[in-house]
Amino acid sequence: MYKPKAGALSVAGIASLAVLSACGTTGGGGPTSGGGGALGSCRGTITVATDLPLTGGDATDGPFPAYGAQLAVTQANDHHTLGGCRLKYVSKDDSSVAQNGHDPAQGAANITALAADSSVIGVVGPFNSSVALTEIPIASQNHLPLISPANTNPGLTQPGTNPAIDTNALYKGVHSYFRVIATDTDQAEILAYVATKELSATKAFLFDDQQTYGKGLRLLFQKFYTQDGGTVVGSPASLPSSTKTFSTQLGEASTDGAKLVFFGGTTGNGCGLVRGQMAAAGLTVPFLGGDGCEDTKFLTDAGANANGAEATSAPDVTKLASAATFYSDYAAAYSNLTAPYNDGKKEPYTAYGYDAMNILIKAIKAALINNHAKVPADIMTFRDDVITQLHSVSYDGAIGHTTFDTNGDTTNTGFTLYQVQSGAWATKETLAVDTSGNVSVKS
Amino acid sequence: MNDEAGAGAPGGGGPAAGSLLQSTRALLVAPAGLVPRVRRPTGAGRAIPVLRGMYRWASGNFPAILLLVIALTVIGVFLQGQGHDQGLTLMGLQLRNALVLGAIYALVAIGYTMVYGIIELINFAHGDVFTASGFYAILIATLFGLNGLAAGGPGGLVLALLILFPVVMLMSGLTGMIIERVAYRRLRSSPRLAPLITAIGVSFFLEGFMLTRAGPDNVPTGRSAWITTHAFTFGGVSVSWKDIFVVAVALGLMFALGAFIRGTRLGKAMRSTAQDRDAALLCGININRTISVTFFIGSALAAAAAIVYTINLEFIQWNLGYRLGIIAFTAAVLGGIGNIVGAGLGGFLIGAIYVFGGQLVGGEWSEALIFAVLVIILTFRPVGLLGVEVTTRA
Repeated sequence: MYKPKAGALSVAGIASLAVLSACGTTGGGGPTSGGGGALGSCRGTITVATDLPLTGGDATDGPFPAYGAQLAVTQANDHHTLGGCRLKYVSKDDSSVAQNGHDPAQGAANITALAADSSVIGVVGPFNSSVALTEIPIASQNHLPLISPANTNPGLTQPGTNPAIDTNALYKGVHSYFRVIATDTDQAEILAYVATKELSATKAFLFDDQQTYGKGLRLLFQKFYTQDGGTVVGSPASLPSSTKTFSTQLGEASTDGAKLVFFGGTTGNGCGLVRGQMAAAGLTVPFLGGDGCEDTKFLTDAGANANGAEATSAPDVTKLASAATFYSDYAAAYSNLTAPYNDGKKEPYTAYGYDAMNILIKAIKAALINNHAKVPADIMTFRDDVITQLHSVSYDGAIGHTTFDTNGDTTNTGFTLYQVQSGAWATKETLAVDTSGNVSVKS
Repeated sequence: MNDEAGAGAPGGGGPAAGSLLQSTRALLVAPAGLVPRVRRPTGAGRAIPVLRGMYRWASGNFPAILLLVIALTVIGVFLQGQGHDQGLTLMGLQLRNALVLGAIYALVAIGYTMVYGIIELINFAHGDVFTASGFYAILIATLFGLNGLAAGGPGGLVLALLILFPVVMLMSGLTGMIIERVAYRRLRSSPRLAPLITAIGVSFFLEGFMLTRAGPDNVPTGRSAWITTHAFTFGGVSVSWKDIFVVAVALGLMFALGAFIRGTRLGKAMRSTAQDRDAALLCGININRTISVTFFIGSALAAAAAIVYTINLEFIQWNLGYRLGIIAFTAAVLGGIGNIVGAGLGGFLIGAIYVFGGQLVGGEWSEALIFAVLVIILTFRPVGLLGVEVTTRA
């Protein structure tokens, strides 16, 4: 039987003692438990954690996936998913006052503390790619599973995709980093597919906003678009976010016969303005952007010229049938929270936090079953077992079907293509990329 | 001692700096170049002095014009070589873009240069007066239902413009006068740093006010239907009436201003105040009123620039004028600060540097190029482009 060390107990605190006392009385699987019975003889408390930005400027984003993850732990304990073993939930905040939001240094300190705690088996987080850069090396060295609900920067897992990141240097130990959100590589492949196959645009003029996300997406789009047979006309325009007049570049695009205008970046940095100024430059060709463009500000900035513009964005999971139960469970569990936190649909990443934690729990359960319902005495062995299980996990959750490839990236790579119709964004179709890079329309 | 600045710049600039200031004042006095000051009645020139002046200017600057045409052709051929199928067309298109952008810079630059010419103050709030005018224009257009009127046809458009321009220019002119009265007048005989700091303060105040009132995002002006028709296509370059409108308004107002300063009593008062404030006072000129009028005119021109900007680009943002103002100020310095013709020329030049620099070097370098040119000009010709010319004449 697994006995937590004294140090772990002190961290575990009162909540875990209460859970421990309940542990013995409820032996086998609960009424809705699916297979908890195999772990009926399991004894002990296993700690799972989240590391997300909860305060400062990120207070409108980070708490949602944290609440989602917490709900997954509560439900697992209620349903005795781990049989006689119990889960304890620890929440860490990677915001700092100095940064007024997510802080890579705070994230590193959190992961160091969690890795040193021999009861912690895995972490859901972080939210921001910049925080992941400091956390991945620590988690890798300490064999600590890290499942991000929101990191989209491909450089975190795919070598060579981001010139600013030495991907291989991040993993000094085991590859313990996973994510349930698709990367900008997938998004760029889907955008290139839409450009060449659906819009049949043979020549494109490219813009970006010089920032990590925007320029990264533009470079990836350029790569896949060229691979798919498209030609980039002129030289791609990489303009500062303060740019308001795009007539020079749009003039170049029109005389060079561009059949498509692509913008990698956010509406705050001019996505809607470019679309709005295309007509005056004599460009009546399609406009395509990434998830930074798909918002209401785009509609304001592009004005009367917004109609017809297309952009990909994260799948709208709030409308998925698989997520309906989750959102009603969330509303029931957190009805006492103040708005907006009492409604999980206010933030798309809520369901991603929930699924990430459920995937971690599923891997823990599989590892325990393999070890004959015993918690391994050595935490490093246990973490290694969980990482092995994560690499082969197959999970149907709120956001759909998730498995991980060798890089730890999700194979659930859907992006939804939206189009402005009658002055509002409308869902056009959802596309996905398979492991060999082929894009197909899912719905 | 009311006019210590004219006696020598602070920090021991010495006689050289003093004469520089005198000469920059002289620029406002003698904005010659485009229209001759002394009319020689000879034949047709007497009937249409503007045309005659243009002919004289063109023949006098023939080498420069020839050089410009050659440079533009070289750019076109170079673009062709860079892999653009229609290099000359692209050059023509960018020339059009440069003129449209330059017209707006020129109108704003004149406001900077006029204020500097008369009280040696860099009015940092001027760019924000531009932004405020954009919001005034939205207000007036909504109040009078001008967007619907302008979309109704050519007659409605002319009527809408005839309402919008005077009303908004009046509002902005009064704003400029109030700023001068509140923030600058009492500091007129203080060290020059004091009004400079209040100018920055007024700029921050206006930006903060507009941010809280209008929000951080671009505010659409709803003027997309005002001027939509295409005028003509020349050598593959499509020119719309909107482009022509922007440049025509700028040139028209600049000529009107030139005529006002040369031909009216107030204009004469402005010139004499710029030349020597104390002497002007002794001659019975109302200095306060003259300076107020200068601020009124400068701000009204910024308002005209804002109106054409919002018809051309259809949005305004709370901090739009900050960057545009700095670029326009650069245009004023490039042309020779204090010189109205220089400000106009500088505006069009900066527009050209912005657009052609963006095309030839890359859009990310446009603003860097503007300031690089400024540094070069100030190093080798500190009084600006037209400064030297007038200095030798004066």
